[in-house]
Amino acid sequence: MAKLYTDTDKFGDANASPTVEAFHAAVKDIVRQKLAESGGHWDSFVFDKSYTLITEEDMKGVEKMLLDAGHLFDWSAAISPTERPEAYKPVEGVSDDDMGEFSFEHEDAVTAAAEGGLEQRGQGDNVARYAEDCEGVARYIRSPMQVMKFLEEGVPDNTIAIIDDSGGTLTAPILEQFKGVICAGGTTRSHLGILTREYGVPCVMNAKVSGIKQGDTVRIESTGDPKTAADYQKNVERTVKVWRVAGAS
Amino acid sequence: MTMPLNYSQLLETNNLIQQNVDESYWLCVTRTVQESKLFPVPSYMMLSYLMAFYRYPSLLRKIETRMSAEELGDRSREMAMKHRAPGVSWGLPNFYLLGREWLINMGVIKPTDAIEDVMYVMDFWKRFQLALYRNDGHISRVQYGHRAQILSERQTQVFHSDLYTCENGDELHEAAHQFMASASQYGFLISCESRISLHNHGPYKLNENSEMIVRDFMDLAESDFPWLDGVAEGVEFNNITVTMAAKDCHFYLVDDWGSFEAEPEFSADKLIGVGLYTSDNLSEGYVPLGMDSREDLIAMFKKLDAQVKEAMNNLWKRIAGYSRDQMMDAGAITYFAIIKDLAHIAGVYDVDDWMKVDERAERFRPLLNDEYGRDVLGELVGLLSNPSQKLSEYQMMMHSNAPTKMYTPIPYSVLSGETYTPTAGPLYPGITNLPEKKDVYTTTRGKMNFAEYNKASQEFCPAALVPENRFLCETWVKYNAGSEKADALYEVSQQASRKLAGKGSSLSRDEVEGLRD
Repeated sequence: MAKLYTDTDKFGDANASPTVEAFHAAVKDIVRQKLAESGGHWDSFVFDKSYTLITEEDMKGVEKMLLDAGHLFDWSAAISPTERPEAYKPVEGVSDDDMGEFSFEHEDAVTAAAEGGLEQRGQGDNVARYAEDCEGVARYIRSPMQVMKFLEEGVPDNTIAIIDDSGGTLTAPILEQFKGVICAGGTTRSHLGILTREYGVPCVMNAKVSGIKQGDTVRIESTGDPKTAADYQKNVERTVKVWRVAGAS
Repeated sequence: MTMPLNYSQLLETNNLIQQNVDESYWLCVTRTVQESKLFPVPSYMMLSYLMAFYRYPSLLRKIETRMSAEELGDRSREMAMKHRAPGVSWGLPNFYLLGREWLINMGVIKPTDAIEDVMYVMDFWKRFQLALYRNDGHISRVQYGHRAQILSERQTQVFHSDLYTCENGDELHEAAHQFMASASQYGFLISCESRISLHNHGPYKLNENSEMIVRDFMDLAESDFPWLDGVAEGVEFNNITVTMAAKDCHFYLVDDWGSFEAEPEFSADKLIGVGLYTSDNLSEGYVPLGMDSREDLIAMFKKLDAQVKEAMNNLWKRIAGYSRDQMMDAGAITYFAIIKDLAHIAGVYDVDDWMKVDERAERFRPLLNDEYGRDVLGELVGLLSNPSQKLSEYQMMMHSNAPTKMYTPIPYSVLSGETYTPTAGPLYPGITNLPEKKDVYTTTRGKMNFAEYNKASQEFCPAALVPENRFLCETWVKYNAGSEKADALYEVSQQASRKLAGKGSSLSRDEVEGLRD
């Protein structure tokens, strides 16, 4: 098989991700093989013959190699496992059936026994300070189907959305209708953080919560200090509390 | 447009690459990894980088057959279109170099491949940037300490004088704030979760206690993107600029990624003045919107807010029904076409050039499932853990002190006989999974078809950039204010101003402040 320019590399080593390492090794093998087939002359191969010799089918074979070995891929966009359930890990916690028992369970969530009717169920980074804490009904929103339903039927009053997508597009058409947001990812500078601040919707990002179920009454300590860009850069620990309101659900 | 291959040129090219290494690493690690349950974001980003690698050199050469990078940069000071920043300023060099780096790590190309393309792309970037930032004298925002004072005094005075005062809780404050929230959210959706429809420049010092930031919201209407056809029909203006005066804070960071940071933190109560404009490559600078009276401005903000909200809901429903390949196309095109406005300005825009996925890049789409997309992007821009990015252990990279480098320089060994290839080749055909683009483009002169838009672009030159005015710079104004020529230049920007029309070139900043409502 032909040798590649980068096969000798004094400082380079394996990729950090096993998936990337496996994919790149497989693509390099394809390049070596096709280069040899073309006569082994790189300069006539790289931007000419390779365009027809290295194909989309070859790349499909790279992914198939891992699937055949039993690997299922992590998913991030809901469309991906919907279209190819055989290629991705199972989707959980998005259907109405799942919601009865589903909850985010973060190992670093700070919890405490109820005191004065408030039971701490976690903490997060406050996006902006408000005059009052924010209390409402917890509703998990984790898929476009759920957003579509709320878009058509309206978001129930008093909803505090519990989300694990720090982006600004999933909940775009209904974000303004939330009373508050608890987001299990991102930072106060993520798109969702930026938008909730612009709309004046109380929000905690990077929330580490545990035991909050669909329909629970929850309260966000929105009166607490916001976490600033400087806090992130200096690794300042600055969080506000998330409570479940005892006996209110 | 063949670049000379000599030591001086390679030294410069590699320096320009390194400038982008340092800043891009900082930008990437000071933001969170962007995720979305709606769009396969990292996967489409990776696809876009390959599109940039294979197509940018040819497309830039095509653009420069009609207009030079320097003139494009000059014209870009007179309008707020997306190509400016984050387009050319960050996307152009970095998308191209990220595509190159990824291909090197898959063994598909060598560091010595397409070196004339690499030199040309970096040289185009340099020439455009130097012209765009002519007024502040830097090549990039980071060179100016993350600041961007693009505007001349002629333009800044108009923005300053025409600001309407507002305060927290009043109707104008609320209407402006509501519009900016809606437009930001709509911008994220148009740009498939990225922030490249939003951009800011400044700050500009208005008085001892107040600074102005200029916020641009771009590509909002039916124009280049097929996914906006129909759903954005009711959005009147494609590019909207909000001038924003703030008190009691200093904007210490205004970067290429549309972020600004202030000390103390900027909050709604610090917003004390707003203005509203539209512009594009066919407008005579910035055109005021609803600026005749405070009531008109409030009504305009409300009208535009309703327009973008309706478009956003329609667009969201359309995208929620897209296939993954359609989402990949939309996202990859959003990124790749971040510099498409250069072709509009030059009048050589072609849908097939900008709205399709190059077939050479398309070959690699099957690799881009969510997991590989996430991991390979993370390694390429955050961990810098690809083999090509590792250096000798003695090395200490800026910001991280790690022995890494985001982009591979061109090896100087090509000057001593090592073989190399000059170019990735001409334009190849593209594919799309999206519906065919409707032949409608929203401009400041109304809706046009593609041919009309190109023709109008070729025929128009803003008055401030005609040959006799183009080089009348800030230094010239300093020593010629009050002359007939200087007054005529200032009046180009003042003609639509409600406060400065006909006032000429001699006003000081304090005199402009004194003319405000």
